[in-house]
Order: sequence, then C-alpha cells, then structure tokens
Amino acid sequence: MTELTIEQIEKAIDVASDTVIRNEIYFSDLDGLAGDGDFGTSLATGFKVIKADLPTLDKSAVGAMLLKISMLCSKHVGGSSGPIWGTGFMRAGMASKDKTSVSLEDLAAMVNSAVEGIMARGGAKLGDKTLLDALIPIAEKMKEMAPTGDAAATLKAVTEVADKAIDETRNLVAHRGRASQVGERSANTPDPGIVGVATILYDWCKHYGVDYTPTAAELNR
Amino acid sequence: MKKFVNEPANFVPEFMKGVLLANPGLLEFIPEFQLIKRTDRPAENKVSVVQGSGSGHEPAHIMTVGPGMLSAACQGPVFAAPPVDACYETIKSVATDAGVLVLVNNYQGDRMAWDMACEMAEAEGIKVKQFIINDDVSVEDSLYTVGRRGVAGNFFVIKACGAAAEAGADLDTVLAVAEKVNANVRTMGVALTSCIPPAKGTAIFEIGDDEMEVGIGIHGEPGRRRDKIKNADAITDELFDAVAQDLPYKSGDRVALMINGLGGTPISELYVLYARAHERAEQAGLTVVRNYVGEYCTSLEMAGASLTLLKLDGQLEEYLDAPAEVAVRIF
Repeated sequence: MTELTIEQIEKAIDVASDTVIRNEIYFSDLDGLAGDGDFGTSLATGFKVIKADLPTLDKSAVGAMLLKISMLCSKHVGGSSGPIWGTGFMRAGMASKDKTSVSLEDLAAMVNSAVEGIMARGGAKLGDKTLLDALIPIAEKMKEMAPTGDAAATLKAVTEVADKAIDETRNLVAHRGRASQVGERSANTPDPGIVGVATILYDWCKHYGVDYTPTAAELNR
Repeated sequence: MKKFVNEPANFVPEFMKGVLLANPGLLEFIPEFQLIKRTDRPAENKVSVVQGSGSGHEPAHIMTVGPGMLSAACQGPVFAAPPVDACYETIKSVATDAGVLVLVNNYQGDRMAWDMACEMAEAEGIKVKQFIINDDVSVEDSLYTVGRRGVAGNFFVIKACGAAAEAGADLDTVLAVAEKVNANVRTMGVALTSCIPPAKGTAIFEIGDDEMEVGIGIHGEPGRRRDKIKNADAITDELFDAVAQDLPYKSGDRVALMINGLGGTPISELYVLYARAHERAEQAGLTVVRNYVGEYCTSLEMAGASLTLLKLDGQLEEYLDAPAEVAVRIF
C-alpha cells in the first residue's frame, strides 16, 4: 500500500510550481485566444510565492501545509484563479487535516473534495469548458484506481484523462468565465485551465519516470 | 492617455491615501489589503456592512464607508476583483457578535472572492452572511457575470442596510432589508464615450463620435445595442421605459429616482436627464419621494448616465431619510 509522506507531497507541489512558472507566457497566450490573457501570469505570480515559501511552511500535517498553500493562493493568485485554486487546496487540506501521510485512497478523497469545492465556488459543471472538465473525470479515475495502491499507474491514468479532456473540449463553447462572453469565438481553442492541469500531470509523469505519450498538441510542444 | 497619475500601478493606493487624509479621524486605511474602515467599527451589538470590488467606480465602494453606510470596504485593481485575503481581512476588521453582512455586486470574480472569504471567516467562528445585488435590466448575462449585473442600485442597498445596522437591527433583519431593496430597484445606463484604466493606458472599447451604447455595463461591457446618439429626452425615455416596465412600477407607487453620472458627464447634463425622467415618472402616476442626481457609481471618465428607480415603503423611506456620512463632501 502506497503512503505519500508530507515531504513527497511537498516535492510534488514544488514540481508543479516549476511547471506553472515555466509556462507563464504560454498559458497566458492560450487564455488570450478567448479570455483576457491573464491566466498564466495570475497563476505564476502565486506559484512563485508558493515555491519560495514551501520549505518553511507548517509541515505538522498534510492538511496544515495545504491550508497554508490555500492562503497563499488567496493572497497572491490574481483574478478568478485565486478563489478557484485557493478553494481546491483548502478543501484538499480540510480532507487531510491531521494526517502525516496519505494513502492513494486518501488522496482520491482529497481530490474529490477539492473538485466539489471548486464546483460550488464557481457554479460551473461538466461541459462548461473550464478546468472542471479535466478535474471531474480525474477525481472519478482516482477513485477507481486508488484501491490498486499503484501510484504510478494511477498517475498515468489521470494524465491520460486530462490529456483527452483537452481535445474533447476543444470545440465546445465556453459557458463560464471570461471566455463565455466571446461565444462562438471560444470554440476551436483549448481551455487554458484544462491545459494547465494536464501539463502539471504530464510533468509529474516525467519527474517520477512514468512513461506516457500524450496526444494533445498542447502537451507535445 | 492624459490623466493625473504618478505611477499608474499605484493609482488605487494613492487615491485611497487621499480619501484617508481628507477624512481625518473618521477612517482607517490598511494599505496591505487596500482596505478602508470606519475607526468606530466594529461596535458592540452592531451589525457591520461591508463591500469590496474593483476600483474605477468611485464613490462606490470605498468612498461610501461612513456612519449609516458601509463599515469597511476593500478595493481591487481598476475593474478587477480584490484578492480573497483582502475580502477576508475586511470581514475580520469589523467582525462583531452581531455579525457581518457582505454586499456583493453580481460579478463572477467578486462573487468567488467573497464566497471564499466568507467561508474562511465562518471557519474562524465569525458570523457572516452575503447578499448578491443585481439591478441592471439591460442584459440577462454579461461580461464577467452570470445573470444581471449589479450597478447603481447598489447605492440604495448600502444606504438602507447601513441605516438598519446603525439603528441596531440584527443580521437577519439587515439581510432582509438588502433583499427588499434589491427586489424593488432597477437600473439601466447609456454610454457616450469609453474610459481608460490608468494601468492599461488605452480605452477599454471603441465607440464612434456619433454613437451611444445603450445598456452599458460599468466596466464597459456591451449592453443592448450600439446606436446613433439621440437627443437627451429620447435617451431618457428609452432608459425610463426599460426600467419602469421591468419591475414593473405601477401608478400609485412611491419611488426614489436616481440619475447617476458615469464619471465624464457634467452635472448640468444629468439634470437635463432628471427633468425628463421626473416628468415621465409623474405621468406614469409614480410619486417621486426622494431624488438623487450626481455620481454614485461611475466607470472612470466615461461620459454617460444611468437611471434607477426604487419602489419604497415606509421602512425604506425611513432608512433613506436616516442621517449618513460618506468620504465625499462638497460642504
């Protein structure tokens, strides 16, 4: 049975921070196709602070660390991304409050809780062409895979889910967020939130040596 | 761009500093959160009323902090929601056992930020409720919103809730006042020009010299239609009809009538609009009990105006009559 320690989760967040920071301009360019072009910068501004503060954050429990990260998101991530990512970390933190390590099943419950929180916060649902189109099926896949205890296989499976979500939603018209205002113009552009989630997962695959070949063009740059 | 600015990025904190210095002893300014609060709040047994949104709409929201109005407010950058932690600190700065009412205008960014801030405050044991204001009749969905936008009607929600809170009403009662005002207030605006956020340096939308945008939003969002400009009476008639038919307001109703300037229209022009609007209200059998002509909710230097009707009852008339003080004075 795989147990993830606080240090391992810290490392995963550090790797994700690098992904967000490295893709600042790319994510903003994607957002500029149908949105207001601030997604990459908003997120990167926050994750630069998260990466810098990570070594000194409260590590008494997984939840304590995630709640601190939630606070950093709410303070430093601008635009709508602040409450969205802040909520995700807050709910995941509340679901892992006193734990000093988490099993895959714990992690699946944390992700599920984060996804439910984000849905409630923004009022978006599946098919609205937001990052939830990646997160909802990811949460389902994690629940399905968690009993196996195979972390590598689970990571590969959820990366595939996010990868597919990019292409499956590409031709949808956005129903939420800034992109919803340009109507049909948002069709044929990938959702930057979905690409962001998929890129983080794919970078985790590379970091942990999980072999995965993505299909979406946005992951094959 | 021709504006009174030093460093464009410092525009918001610099004007907030001015508001503070112009109101010695009455207000407290916490620059870290772009937050201004009354020095005499929190007060025991009194509900606090707070708001916070993008800048550029002054005197909303920060300049309406004062006795009988908001207890505290925080500002985001021009036309962008404040960060969650600023909203949270705003609630916390005036939290009392009686509770805090958060008045949120219906924009996606504001709603999410305040929703999360309220959840964080509740987790700390703070009693807090939020209310969403959506008085704009021009469009059902708009840029940054799902559903109608919150615009100048916001002033009446603040005024009535501020008066109720000052009088010692409990949180549920102040919330019910917000619900009543919002259910009875309707607004529509028109723009003649665009506006320039200082940090952006360019106009937020293009509009021809001979054009108007009917149903404009306070961030330059599109309204019902772009049209050739008409004379003042014809424009007033269109705004009045759209607003009056929406509730609808009926013969015999007692109302408050507001002509709100969007920032770049002279007060004289606003009174030209008011004259027609007042006559139209009387012709429709409405009694104009109170009137408001001036700038209440603006869009930087946009030339334009909005028309608001609020249907009154005894309680709301009393709350509108109650004394209040804000950070903007001319005497």
